[in-house]
Amino acid sequence: MNVMSFVYGFLVLLGVFVFQTTLTGLNRKVTARLQKRYGARWYQQFLDIFKALRKDSTSHGWVFDFGVIMALGGIMATVIFIPVAGFEAFPGLDNIFVISYLLAVGMLGMAMSAAGSGNPWASIGVARALTNMLAYDVPLMIVIFTLIFAFDSSSLSEIAALQQGMGILGWNAFRMPLGGIVAVIALLGMLGKKPFDSFIAPTEIASGPMVEYGGKHLGFMFILHEFMTFIEVSIILSLFFGGGATIWEYMLKYAVLYTFMNIISGVMPRFKIDQAVKYFYRVPLAMAIVQGLVVIFTGLGVTLWF
Amino acid sequence: MVLDEKDNRNVWEKIGDYFSANSIWMKWYCTGCGAIELPPTMTSRYDMERLGMGPMATPRQADVLLITGYLSTKTLRRVIYSYEQMNSPRFIVAFGSCTINGGIYYDSYATIGRLDKYLPVDLYIAGCMPRPEVVMNGFNELIKMIKKGQAKGWKHYQENYEWYKKNQLDSLGEVIIKDEFHE
Amino acid sequence: MNSMNNTINEIKAALKPLKMETPAFRQIAVVVKPDTVHNALSYLKQKGFTQLSIVTCVDWIKESEFELVYILFSWTEGIHIQLRARIDRDKPVMVTATDIFPGAQYYEREVHEFFGVEFTGNEDAAKPLFLEIWDDLPPLRKDFDPQAYSDSKFPMRERGNEFVSEIGGHDDE
Repeated sequence: MNVMSFVYGFLVLLGVFVFQTTLTGLNRKVTARLQKRYGARWYQQFLDIFKALRKDSTSHGWVFDFGVIMALGGIMATVIFIPVAGFEAFPGLDNIFVISYLLAVGMLGMAMSAAGSGNPWASIGVARALTNMLAYDVPLMIVIFTLIFAFDSSSLSEIAALQQGMGILGWNAFRMPLGGIVAVIALLGMLGKKPFDSFIAPTEIASGPMVEYGGKHLGFMFILHEFMTFIEVSIILSLFFGGGATIWEYMLKYAVLYTFMNIISGVMPRFKIDQAVKYFYRVPLAMAIVQGLVVIFTGLGVTLWF
Repeated sequence: MVLDEKDNRNVWEKIGDYFSANSIWMKWYCTGCGAIELPPTMTSRYDMERLGMGPMATPRQADVLLITGYLSTKTLRRVIYSYEQMNSPRFIVAFGSCTINGGIYYDSYATIGRLDKYLPVDLYIAGCMPRPEVVMNGFNELIKMIKKGQAKGWKHYQENYEWYKKNQLDSLGEVIIKDEFHE
Repeated sequence: MNSMNNTINEIKAALKPLKMETPAFRQIAVVVKPDTVHNALSYLKQKGFTQLSIVTCVDWIKESEFELVYILFSWTEGIHIQLRARIDRDKPVMVTATDIFPGAQYYEREVHEFFGVEFTGNEDAAKPLFLEIWDDLPPLRKDFDPQAYSDSKFPMRERGNEFVSEIGGHDDE
C-alpha cells in the first residue's frame, strides 16, 4: 500500500465510470435496434447523469442524504478492489469475500436511503430487491463455493489467471458448463435486467427504491448504478470467463458479456417477484447442485476433461 | 407569459441548459385524453429517445410535466401537487386544445378553461389531438427554447407565486386534496 | 322466449306495476310507485336478479319529477330489468338500496351528488364522490347552467393580441 495504490484507485474509478457509462449508452442503442428504433446517442447516458447532477433536489431528512453518500462511497471502495487484467490497487486483497462484504456497505446505504424517503413504493422496492438477492444468491454461491473448492483459492485474480493460457476452452464457463449457465442467469438477476427487474418496475411500483430521488440524488444513484454494474459483471467475468490477460482483452470480453445480458433483457418480459424466486430455486439451483457434486466427486472441470 | 429575449445566463447556466435540453425526462399526466398519441411517439415510428427524451416514473425524477388534454378541477389539484414535487429546472408542456381554451369542454362545470392561469406553461402543442409529428415538432421547439434559456416558466412561477396561488384558489376553492384516501 | 313470458307474468303478479314494457330484446322496463321500490328490489334479487348494474336518475323538469332507474341483470336467465320510480323533484327522498345490494353505495353517492336526491338509511350518501368541493346546485339538474358556472369560475382566454404575441415570441427560424 503506497501512494501509487491511491493514484491507481483514482484512475480505476475514473476509467470505470467513463467506460461503463459509454457502454451503457451504446447498449441503449443496441436495445433500440432490437426494437427497430434508431436509439439514443452513444453519449446520452453522460448527458442524463450531468443533467441530473445539475438539477436542484429535494431532501427527505439526513438518513436519505447520508444513505446516498454511504452507498456511493461503499460501491466506489469496492470498485478499487476489483482486479482488472492483473492490475490491483491493493494486491492480495481481491478476495471474493472481501468484495462481498464491502458491497454490503453500499447495498445497506441504498436500502437505508430508500427507506428513509418514507415512500411506501420505496419500501416495497427494497423488499423486492432483497428477495431477488436471496433468490439468485443461493445458486450463485453454491457455484462460487464449488470454484473455491476446485481451485483452493478465493482470489479473483488467481482464479482468473488459472483459466488463461488454454484458449477459450480453459474458461470455467466451459470447464463447468452448468455452473457457467447458472452464473449467467444469476448475473441477469444481479444486474436487475429483465426478466428479474421487478424491484425497479417503473409502471408497477413507480421505479421502486428510486421513487423519491430527483436531481442530484438521482444523479448520484445513476453513477452508483454504473459502478455497481461494473462490479457485478467483473466478478462473473473473472470467475467464469477468464478475466483478461491485457486490459484490451478484458474490456472487449466485458463489453461482449454486458451486451449479451442486454440483448437477453431486450427480448424478455418481466417476472413477478415470486415467479423469479420459484425459477431460481428450481432450475439454476438444481444445476448448481449437480455441478457441485460433479466437481467434488469426479474432479471433472478442475482438470481439463476434453 | 411574455418571453424576453435578454440572455443573462452565466457560462455554467449555459452548460447546464445544454444538458437539460438534450436529456428531457417526462412525467406524463395522462388522465385526460391524448395518452394514445404518446406510444407511437415513443416507439419505433417516431422514436423520441433519439432526442434524449423518455418517460419517467415519478414527478421527482422528471424535468417535464406533460399534461395531455382536459383538466377537471379534481385533477388540477393533483397536477399542482405533482408540479410542486418536481425539482427545478422544470417545464410544463400542455398538450391539446383543452389546455389552451377548454376545447370542446369550454362550458363544462368541471373542467378548467385555460391552464396557464394556474401553472406556468412553457409550451403548448395545439390540436385535438395533436398527432405524433406535431408532438415531435413541439418537443424540438422546447429543446430550442431550453438551449436559449427561454423556458423560464419555473422562475416565473417562483416570482409570481401569489398570482398563481390566487387563481388556483379562486377556481378550486382550495388546493389541498381531501378525499377518502387522504383522510 | 317462454321463460321471458313467465318472468313477465310473475313480476306483473308480484309487483303490481303501474306500467310494464319490453323496450328491447330480453329487456323489461317496470314502472312502480316509489314507496314499493325497496320491496321490489328485494323480490327481484330473490328471483335471481343478483347484479345491480347501475342506479341513475333522470330529471323531468316539466313534470317536476325525478325518475330513479335501477338496472338489474339476471345471470341465470339473461334478462335486464329496468325498475323505474318517479319521485317529487322539490323534496327528492328515496329509501336506500344498500341493505339489499351493498354495491349501490357508490351509485347512491353519485346520484346524491349530481341530482341532490336524499337516500334515507344511507349515512354515507352525502359524502362527496367526484366533485370534491361543490358550492352550487347539483350540476346535472336541468335548471343548472354550466356555461354560467364555467364563466364565473374558470376564466377563459381573451381572443386578441396576447395569444398572437405568445406564438410570435420564439418564431425565429
